[in-house]
Amino acid sequence: MDETVAEYIRRTVLKIPRDQIKTMLQKWGFLSETQLQTLNFHQIKENISQDVVQLCEENSADIKQAAVLDIIYNHIYPNKRVWSVYQMNKTGEETEFFDLTDFKKKFKRRLRSALKNVTINFREYEDNAIWIRIAWGTPYTKPNQYKTSYVVYHSQTPYVFISASVLKSNLPLLCQALVVASSYHDIREMELRSHSLNSLKDIVFKRYSQNFQTYYPRPLQERNVAPESTDLRIIQENRNEKERIQRVNREVFGDGPQPKLEFAQYKLETMFKSDPKMDVLDKKEPFRCLVKFSSPHLLESLKSLAPAGMADAPLSPLLTCIPQKARNYFKIREKKGFLPGSFVSP
Amino acid sequence: QGKMEEGKAYSPDGVFAHLEMLEARAREAAVKQEEMERQEEKLARLKARVQELRLQRDELRAKVDLQQKGQLGKEGVVSDPAQPSARAVLEWKIKSIKAMLQVFYLTGISGKLTKRGVCFCISTAYEGTYLDSYYLDLLAKPEVQIHRHSVPIFIPLEQIAKKYLQTDIRRFLSVLSDHLNAYVGRRYQADQLQEHFSDQIEGTLQRNSLCNLLVFNYNVSSKSKTFPFNVRLLYGDLCCSLPTEVIVSCTPDAPASLAETAAAHSDLFRHVALHKAFCSFSSAEES
Repeated sequence: MDETVAEYIRRTVLKIPRDQIKTMLQKWGFLSETQLQTLNFHQIKENISQDVVQLCEENSADIKQAAVLDIIYNHIYPNKRVWSVYQMNKTGEETEFFDLTDFKKKFKRRLRSALKNVTINFREYEDNAIWIRIAWGTPYTKPNQYKTSYVVYHSQTPYVFISASVLKSNLPLLCQALVVASSYHDIREMELRSHSLNSLKDIVFKRYSQNFQTYYPRPLQERNVAPESTDLRIIQENRNEKERIQRVNREVFGDGPQPKLEFAQYKLETMFKSDPKMDVLDKKEPFRCLVKFSSPHLLESLKSLAPAGMADAPLSPLLTCIPQKARNYFKIREKKGFLPGSFVSP
Repeated sequence: QGKMEEGKAYSPDGVFAHLEMLEARAREAAVKQEEMERQEEKLARLKARVQELRLQRDELRAKVDLQQKGQLGKEGVVSDPAQPSARAVLEWKIKSIKAMLQVFYLTGISGKLTKRGVCFCISTAYEGTYLDSYYLDLLAKPEVQIHRHSVPIFIPLEQIAKKYLQTDIRRFLSVLSDHLNAYVGRRYQADQLQEHFSDQIEGTLQRNSLCNLLVFNYNVSSKSKTFPFNVRLLYGDLCCSLPTEVIVSCTPDAPASLAETAAAHSDLFRHVALHKAFCSFSSAEES
């Protein structure tokens, strides 16, 4: 077995949390059940990984199998990477019969015709998600397994989720291969980025909870109703306002959990509006400024602002439009007040 | 003059006079009070009398009504008036409205007027099983447009909207409903196949988001030997939950008789739901 392969497998196993190693190796399916029985998962990870490499040696693992283990790891822990969303366009109206074998063939052929030294692996999942792992080389060097890009694509959708590696120069190549393989015309990067892959999917696939008005009595979800104070001397002074805030919040954010984003960034290119007597700026130039909101869970925290009394309800549409406009990077210019990005919003 | 100014009773003579005056006043007040009470009593009595008379009038009216309806019972007061209580009427109204809304929901397309337009709900079903519901929030001004929706991204919503939304909204909803129902139908069949017939399927079932292309291998037994068949189901019509093209093939070393079976299966897949087709395979084998 190749030295580099052995080292790669060893390092991959080291990344896995100890209590997950056995499950992941089982998912991998490269080592037999009897081989897995021989492993002692209670020793230090350094030793576990050495033992795994030893077993892989017995089975003569090659880079393709090692790459599969890497895909499995990234599929279970996708939030360790930052994902960007790309949107593809096409003009035709023919019905698509997405054929997986066809897609894989076209993708590999297109990519390899431009760059021979790449390792390409595919893995499909139950939810129609296709994971593609690409390890990049150069025209003169073998693929570097530590410089990988990941692509997640759901068939017959115009969205691709890409976690690029440091080699940004390979991105155009990757995009081209995707467009050709999926029978689209072009592709552009959206202004939507996050660590949480599933939340990005929720946003563009519109799987997040939107409050639609309907007559059909949906089963009322159990809401945390604070027990009414039995002491009649205690009354809520601004009960009406509290209820109004709750109602407005529900209309805007819906009932369910929000997609998980870590930040929203607003690039302002607007004029500084001040008292003319102050005369802060001599030249009438846009005051360039960047406002960035960060949070472990931005949308949930925005949702709780008004009920916590920290902001007025309804919140600014600049904040609440994030899931619907599917973007968390904004450029705000003068006049129209809200001109998103350099592309026309979908 | 016995009149004293208020609060100026300083001479002993004045005190008594003052006291007398107060006594007189009290007597007057007591008389007035009695008179008032008598008036109130009288008023109350008269009011009670009015109530009594009104009650009598209502009873007589009810009697007359009954007589007019031809239901003359015993003479005397009818104990249970034929009019139901207001509360019962309200409850009945609510119940019948709920039933009406349930009916609309069950037909598959229901809607509710919103401040700026309409919110439609398309509920899908396949052969008696109710499946997902999808929502469309439409704005009416300045022109009919889709504000938000929960339609899956792989359904060609934009195409359908471009064709029909402005001109014929009924057709738009109908076409969209057809797409959605067909999609959930295809998905349901594939899911049922994977759930109940996984033992007959070799390897993985290749499908896609729209479930309009299914490729898989399954086992067919003939003369106590099993042969793998490969089937490719193409659903050309997105509004249909049955395939438009079926290719069933067997391995080259399979006996010639199996070619007939393959053709029969191919035909079956084109006309019968996927999971039902497999159901008939297993029952055919048992027989």
